Amino acid sequence: MTTSTDHDIPASGGAGLAGIAARESVRGGRRVRRFSADISAVGEPGLWALGGALALGIILIAGFLAFIAWNGIATFWPKPIEQVELRDGDVLAGVVRRGGTYRVGADVLPRLSDEQRAEIEGDLGFANRTLYQTANYDLYGDDFRWVSEFEVANVTRPADFHYFERQTWGVFIGRVAGLTIDGEARAFDPALMEREQAAARDRFHDIRQLEQRDIGRINHQIERERLNQRRAVLRQGEEAAAPTVAASQARIAELQAEFQILQTRVNEIRENDRRYRVQMEEVGGRTVDTELSQIVRYFAANQLSLLDKIGIYFSRWWEFVSAEPREANTQGGVLPAIFGTVAMTLLMVVFVAPFGVITALYLREYAKQGRLTSIVRISVNNLAGVPSIVYGVFGLGFFAYTMGGTIDQLFYPENLPNPTFGKGGILWASLTLALLTVPVVIVASEEALAAVPRSMREGSLACGASKWQTIRYVVLPKALPGIMTGMILAMARGAGEVAPLMLVGVVKLAPALPIDTFFPFIHLDRSFMHLGFHIFDVGFQSRNSEAGKPMVFVTTLLLLALIVAMNATAIIIRNRLKRRYATGQF
Amino acid sequence: MNTTLDIEPTDYHITRSPDGPVLEIKDFNLWYGQAQALFDCNLDIQKGMVTALIGPSGCGKSTMLRCLNRMNDLVDDLRIDGRILADGFDIYGPGVDVIALRKRMGMVFQKPNPFAMSIYDNISYPLRVDGVTRKSVLDETVERALRSAALWDEAKDRLQESALGLSGGQQQRLCIARAVASDPEVLLMDEPCSALDPIATAKIESLITDLRGQYSIVIVTHSMSQAARVSDNTAFMYLGRIIEYGETETIFTRPHKSRTNDYVTGRFG
Repeated sequence: MTTSTDHDIPASGGAGLAGIAARESVRGGRRVRRFSADISAVGEPGLWALGGALALGIILIAGFLAFIAWNGIATFWPKPIEQVELRDGDVLAGVVRRGGTYRVGADVLPRLSDEQRAEIEGDLGFANRTLYQTANYDLYGDDFRWVSEFEVANVTRPADFHYFERQTWGVFIGRVAGLTIDGEARAFDPALMEREQAAARDRFHDIRQLEQRDIGRINHQIERERLNQRRAVLRQGEEAAAPTVAASQARIAELQAEFQILQTRVNEIRENDRRYRVQMEEVGGRTVDTELSQIVRYFAANQLSLLDKIGIYFSRWWEFVSAEPREANTQGGVLPAIFGTVAMTLLMVVFVAPFGVITALYLREYAKQGRLTSIVRISVNNLAGVPSIVYGVFGLGFFAYTMGGTIDQLFYPENLPNPTFGKGGILWASLTLALLTVPVVIVASEEALAAVPRSMREGSLACGASKWQTIRYVVLPKALPGIMTGMILAMARGAGEVAPLMLVGVVKLAPALPIDTFFPFIHLDRSFMHLGFHIFDVGFQSRNSEAGKPMVFVTTLLLLALIVAMNATAIIIRNRLKRRYATGQF
Repeated sequence: MNTTLDIEPTDYHITRSPDGPVLEIKDFNLWYGQAQALFDCNLDIQKGMVTALIGPSGCGKSTMLRCLNRMNDLVDDLRIDGRILADGFDIYGPGVDVIALRKRMGMVFQKPNPFAMSIYDNISYPLRVDGVTRKSVLDETVERALRSAALWDEAKDRLQESALGLSGGQQQRLCIARAVASDPEVLLMDEPCSALDPIATAKIESLITDLRGQYSIVIVTHSMSQAARVSDNTAFMYLGRIIEYGETETIFTRPHKSRTNDYVTGRFG
């Protein structure tokens, strides 16, 4: 074995000279080359294998990241609209999504011309095809269409085609046939349309604000009054509560009057809004007449300058990170999901940190190291390997139904049979994830505690410090960076977990964020949205997975960026802690 | 080994302090599990003097030292028999407050072990764990301790900096300062120079000489020349027994036991 280590030396750099010298002297002294005898004695192949494995791993990860990043980054770039005339006289307009080669079916061939058949046979029965996003779901009943190369007669890019992103019904591709401004029919004028569309969007936001904020507040208050009544009846009995109920009824009547006023205002704005319309004409000539306020964004896709494209690109990104989703999550933004992911992860850290660290402290510092401690430790390690969906089931059964149900009976009886905490919510989701990640924290914290040198503890004890003082002032500060590493690992795992969340509180579309302006401001009982689940939902649960595909990549990119950002923050904090004292020994 | 030689009683010829002994170890035995590490040890630590414990590796010097402030309590499976008296109180007796005991015995370890805190916090640590919060008291103590550890001039301008930024020798003097901060009666030193270079060692040694009289010092050392330089009395230990305990000069020049002679002349160990 000693000889084999000698041979490894040249590969490790610094000590190389010694190795070479040894080789020379042996060679010169005895004129025998013993070195080539045994391949296992030479470290080189092993070194190459190690390097190769590392390189392969890095390539896989880098390739994966590059793939996600490229697809995610390219998604929002505006692409031109092509008008495709087919040989059978059909015309379509759309944006190229992707292409591919396929084997032409036997049932198609007889219907083609000789020329086309010859072309296909020349390609051994294969043909190229392109997937167009034809949009106009309300007219076509589909968003996408495959077009084979042999069908195509002519492709043009008409300048007057527009790409409309609508509030509902998705994208519309076509021309502007005309405008209706204040009930009056007008010819299409880009400047006029731009001005009126912006004004219409303002009206749209006004309506939304009135509905969501003001009417939402009144609804919230009415609901609270109703619950107050029920609570009073439950607590004091029907008769004793009568005055409270009456007062509350009066208050509800007031609120309803207020509600009526607001509703009238909303209706007025809406009435007015209907007088501003746009007529869009698809490539086949059918028109769709819609309110201008329904158009989120539109542009003449074939006339854009680079600057315009950049503007649209960033405006789409901004909408993506700052707006709520629309069109069954396949369009619009993911703000609620970003918020939900961050809030849940932070809440999870709040739960997991004390729990994990205290457990590790007890296991490492106080528990007698024996068979029982070993069993506990092994069990904790094994918990890390339990499939996460099992945690989800446990979270639903124990946290939501058992604990939440009890809380409802004790504190929210007036709301029953509607559950308050007795269903999935951000609190239970965070607790479930905390449970899921606590083994990671315990193991890392234990290692960090074990790594605190015995000499430091002895030094503290010799100063007359008690065991707790030693732990509090010497051991914990020294172990903190290691504990933080555990927290970072736990955070990374927790933020990316989806399966258990589907059972304990994540929803496709949450009506409200867990934090808002209504007392008590933080609503831990509410269900929430999560980027990981959003990816699953958009990509695989929406009506048209092709439409959701680009969003899958963008959302994935965003989720990765978010996790990286959270981890980077934690790492910076940890390094700060490390630097605070460690200026190097000796 | 020749066991008949080992059960002879300890040869005693120490210099006695006018104030008498500060610690008296009486018929002390110690077992780690089944293995006995100390056999019938008897030792008086004289007040205000420097007592050195020498002997080959594994002879029980450190174990003996760590019994004096009950640091061995941390070891599982430890069993003792016999008494150690401090001012007439048995430190292993029932109801003894170990924390109070350790406050009376400062300890310096083999490797410098400053805490990951500032220099100031390191030295005021013994007082702070005692509940002292008054800044003036802490300031005064830190200065006094640093001065007695001959570190004040080097450290006074960087009290709030991390103690880990000091050199090895400075760190060890910091540990001495920390040990004397609570003004103990006895200073226990477990090979305090083994991790230091000769210059730092010389500084620590002169420091020990300075502290002599102020504190009763027990020092475990591997270096016989160090024991000869700094101590008043020297105990030679071998295989868990105290073979000879006497005036340092006599131990190193005319030891009464042949085994001691073999060791101090470098014939074994």
